[in-house]
This record gives sequence, C-alpha cells and structure tokens, in this order.
Amino acid sequence: MGKDAFEITLNIVKMILIFLVMVQLVPVLVWAERRVSGFMQNRFGPNRIGPLGLMQLLADAVKFLFKEPFFPAKGVAAMYHAAPVMALIPGALALAAIPLSSAVIVEPFQWLGREFGPYTFLAQGYDFGVGIVMVLGISSLGAYSLLMAGWGSSNKYSLLGAVRASAQMISYELALGLSLVGILMIYGTFSFQEMINQQLGQALHFNALGKEVVISWLPNWGIFYNPLGALIFFCATFAESNRLPFDLPEAEGELVAGFHTEYGGFALLMFYIGEYGHMMVASALVTVFYLGGYTMPFYEITPAYVQQAWFGGMHPNWASLLTGVVFALVMLVKVMLLLWVFIWVRWTLPRFRYDHLMDLGWKTMLPWALFNTILTAAWIAFSWR
Amino acid sequence: MLTSTDFLFYVLAFISVFFGAAVVIARNPIYSAMSLVITMISVAFLFGALDAWFLAGVQLIVYAGAVTVLFVMVLMLFDLKHEMKTFSKGLLGNGVKLIASGVTLGMLLVYIWSTYATEPTFKPLPPAATSSIKATKDLATSLFTDYIFAFEAIGALLLIIAVGAVTLSRITGGTHHADS
Amino acid sequence: MSSLLALLIFVAFLAAFGIFIIVGTSALGPKPEVSKAKAMPYESGVVGTEQKDSRMSVKFYLTAILFILFDIEIIFMYPWAITFMDFVKSGQGMYMLGGMGVFVLLFVVGLIWEVKSKALDWN
Repeated sequence: MGKDAFEITLNIVKMILIFLVMVQLVPVLVWAERRVSGFMQNRFGPNRIGPLGLMQLLADAVKFLFKEPFFPAKGVAAMYHAAPVMALIPGALALAAIPLSSAVIVEPFQWLGREFGPYTFLAQGYDFGVGIVMVLGISSLGAYSLLMAGWGSSNKYSLLGAVRASAQMISYELALGLSLVGILMIYGTFSFQEMINQQLGQALHFNALGKEVVISWLPNWGIFYNPLGALIFFCATFAESNRLPFDLPEAEGELVAGFHTEYGGFALLMFYIGEYGHMMVASALVTVFYLGGYTMPFYEITPAYVQQAWFGGMHPNWASLLTGVVFALVMLVKVMLLLWVFIWVRWTLPRFRYDHLMDLGWKTMLPWALFNTILTAAWIAFSWR
Repeated sequence: MLTSTDFLFYVLAFISVFFGAAVVIARNPIYSAMSLVITMISVAFLFGALDAWFLAGVQLIVYAGAVTVLFVMVLMLFDLKHEMKTFSKGLLGNGVKLIASGVTLGMLLVYIWSTYATEPTFKPLPPAATSSIKATKDLATSLFTDYIFAFEAIGALLLIIAVGAVTLSRITGGTHHADS
Repeated sequence: MSSLLALLIFVAFLAAFGIFIIVGTSALGPKPEVSKAKAMPYESGVVGTEQKDSRMSVKFYLTAILFILFDIEIIFMYPWAITFMDFVKSGQGMYMLGGMGVFVLLFVVGLIWEVKSKALDWN
C-alpha cells in the first residue's frame, strides 16, 4: 500500500504540474496572438505594460478576477456554471497522456539507512498503453462543454453556435481519426513512447520495391512516411479546436460570439484555456506522430552519451535528468512552432461559410483520408521492409 | 483489506449506478442525457480497471463522445415541452417509468439468479496479455481471423443503417408538417 | 491501477479548481443591481423574440447519426491498423488486406451514396 500511495501521489503531482504548465502557457499564447495579429495588420498590439507588453497578461488576469459575476435571466444555472469547468477537463487530461520528455531513471540508492529505487519517472501524467485511443476518447468529450454553455445560457445565438460547433467537431473528428490509420499501420502501436522510439535514427530509410532507400538529409520522421495523413490531421485539428478558418461556432458577424455570448470574466477565460489546451494537445500530437516527438533530428542523445560527454563524467542520475530537460526543451520548441502556425493561419485564411465547411469535412477531407489509408495499406502490403 | 483496485471498482460502480438511476429519475430530459454521459464515462473507466484499455477508449469515443452527443444535441434542438409534460408528471409518466424499471430489474434478477442457480461452466480463459497493446493485438487477431464474417456483417449493417437514416430524414409530413 | 486512481483524483481536482475559480471570482467581483434589460438574452441590443428552444434544422441530427456510423467503422480500423504490419511480415498480408478491403468497400459505397443522395448538402 505504501508503494501504491507513493505512485498515486507522484502521478497526481505530475498531472497537476502539466496542468499548471498548460494554464501558464495560455496567457503567453494570448499575448503572442495579439502581438502577432498586430504586426500582421500593421498595428502594434499590446505594448504598453511592461517590456514588450508582457505584463499585459498579468493585468488581464487580475482584471478577469475582479469582473462582475453575471447570470442571464432565463439561463439554467447548473448548466451555465458547469460548462466552463467542463471546458478545462478534456484538454488537461489529454495533454497529460502525451510524453513530453524521456523518462528520468534514478538508480537504487541508500538514504537514512533504507534502500530506495530504482525509480523510473515518466514525463507524462499517465500511460495506459493505448495512448492515442485514450486521447481521442477524452478529447471527444469536449463537445459537451459547448453544448452545456449554449443551452445553459438560453440565448438563440449561443445555442446555434454550440450546435454548429459540435456538428463541426464531430464531422472533423472523422477525418482526424481516419487520417491517423495510415501512420498507425506504419508504427504498429498506439503507444506514443514506441512511436517516438521508432522515429529515432540518423536518416530516413525504408524499403521500396525490394531496394533499401536511405535519404541522409532528411530526419527519420513520420511526416516523410505519411505526408498526406499529416496534412489532413493537422487541418482537422484546426477544426477540432475551433480555430480560424474553422471558427464558425463563434463567427462574430453571424452569431455575436457563439456559445460564449453570455459569458464574461474568468468563466470566459476558462473557455479560452480549454481552446488553447486543445491547440496544445493538437500540436503535441502532431509532434509525436509526425515530427519525432521530443527527440532531436540527426543527433541521438542518450543519458549514456551525456554522461560521457560531460567534463570528467557525470552521475547517471544527473545525466538522465539533463537528457530529460534537453528533450523537454526540444518538445517545447516544436510545440511552440506549431502553435505559431495556428496563429499565422488565423490571419492568412478567411473564414469558411458553414456549408463549405461541412463540404470540406465530409466530401474532401474524409475521402482523401480514406485514400491515404488505402494507399498506405497497399504500399505496406506490396513493398515494405 | 481494501486494495486500490477494489476501491476503484466500488467508486466507479457507485458513480455509474447512481447516475444510471438519475437517467431514469431526472425530470428534465437534458439532465437525463447528461447523467447518461457520466454513466458512460464511468463504465469506460470500469473497463480500464479490468486492464481493457482499448475497450475503454472505444467506449469513450463511441458511446460518450458520439452516441450521447447525439442524444444531448437532439434534446437541445427540439422543443420538448409536450414530451416533458407527458412523461415527467402525472400518472401515465410515472407508471411508464415504474413499469420500465421493474421489467429491467426483473430481467436482471432472473439473469443473476439463473447464473448462480446452475453450476457455471466457464470456457478456459486465454492467458492474460502482458500489456494493453498486446491485448489489443490479440483482440484484432481474433476479430480478423475467427470472427471475420461477423466483422464484414457489421460493415454491411452500418451501411444499411446509414441508408435508412437518410431515407427517414427525407420523409416530410407527420406531426411537424402542420406548423412548418 | 494506481495511475487510473490518480487520473480520477486529478479529474476531481480539476473540477474543484474550476468551481473554486467560479465561486471565488463571483465573490471578488462587484455585484451591482442587474437591470432587466441587462439580464435579457444578448441580441446586439435588439429585444429578442425567439425562445431558446426554437426549432432547428434536422440536418444536425442527420449529421450526428452519420458521424456515429462512420466513427464505428473507423474505430474498427484501429486494431486492424496496428496488427497489419505483423500480418504482412508473417505472409498473411493479402488476407488482411482483403478482409479490410471488403469493409472499406462498404464504407466507400456508403459515403458515395450519401454524397449522391445530397444528405451531406447544407443549402
């Protein structure tokens, strides 16, 4: 029982840490988004408070805390107040399932006359072995928050926004799920950790028609094995996180502000945390599936290598920790670049009309995802290593 | 001694039974549907407690993430005042609820009784898989070798359902014809 | 099982965090008298006429049903996808390809039929 209690506490602490990182990244992203939007439209964006306007985040957070609580007259209190709480959960849970760095291994040691270890600290909240299936399952619960908010605030714009949003989310979930089948065939596993391990190696290499092909100037990443699937997956995640050009649920011109019309203050911020959480999950998934996860391209770093390379050697525990930190930074850089793409696309593409959006999901992306699946299956069956 | 697995089972079983009862008892159909969501999620984690993580994920994706979303969406979309009046108040509504719950409970009791009354004959279980990914691969292997016909039949069944749903949605008239 | 227990406790923590924030901010913020006009559904200043449960297109319902059907088909492909490579290596690749081929064919027929029948058109 003592060991159980230790593991449970450890897992909870890790999940709370990941959640806090997610919550802390949201104001940074909001700032980046406003700043980048400003530059793209030839204006400044927030630049007054603190260096580069960075203190704006703090000011906003404090302002949100002291906002007036509002409840619409005809609203349903339970649904109205539960919706923002519900918005937090799927994003935080899904992010906790993704390995953000390599495991830190602590060798057995003696302390206060007792034996401890060996310990393996995974850099993820939980690992049930079916990685992506759990993440898809948990993030599919995101639709409830929107529906609860839309129905609970008793406003026709809110409800219409919520219903549109959930119809959009479920439509693109098909393309999202199907686009992954191809890459799953190549990896042969659901586990994120194994996928990352399979993307190790110096250069892209595969067997084509009985010959071994090595392309030394490309990293051994999933995106080069399944580019079409990667493209469809990345596009579908835009729709899943309700971002432009797919932000129909909150299309200002038509629906006031969509499902969160009647919300203000910190409740609204919680919806934003949910939305940015979805974006982070999407970026992390793209990184793990297609961009090698937390590993560096071309250079294979292992704790043993770090231990050797450090001046005069290093204790294996510290080497393992240092490797973990390096990998976490690599992961952060990759995820941040993808989040930048999210912001970039927002100001590059116009919003879709609703029927075009549904057409794109059902008649373009779903068939192409199916084509990708068939192509990959045929490729594997006829000429794989 | 209550191990963590036992504790988990009791908590999840309590949640699923409690909210399962709430599905029947709640007056407002929306609250019924939301209770159903929680029941589905706790059933998914019950699968997880049995180390069937793939099934848990499928339960979340298909039942909690798709089927119940459909229920909630439909209940929110349509004007349910008449249905609420008919089914949540008055003798008829309560009678229907009582009869339905009684029949279900009776069937469950008969099933449990018949299982325990006769000597159970279990098939020998296959050796437990070492990891959930191995378990999923075993599941896939038996699905695509022993049960391949059933699998293809599911494909045909889903096609028929799709055609049926589209055809039904095209029918005009009925109760909604008069006020459109 | 400890990780599942930790997960459930984490969900409880998140819910508690959310409720704490909601309750806390409503305690911190000012509480002026909410006028009747302010509490009305926001419709850009126009007095609203419609009720929240006004009728909507049946299309959303149809979309949701079709989504469930395709979702089930895609879920069936997942265990197939992760075992496919193993079967190819053991020389049974063609069998698995055929088995899924029939299933995917039914999927394609369904998709084509729905596109042709205009069930997916939003006009």
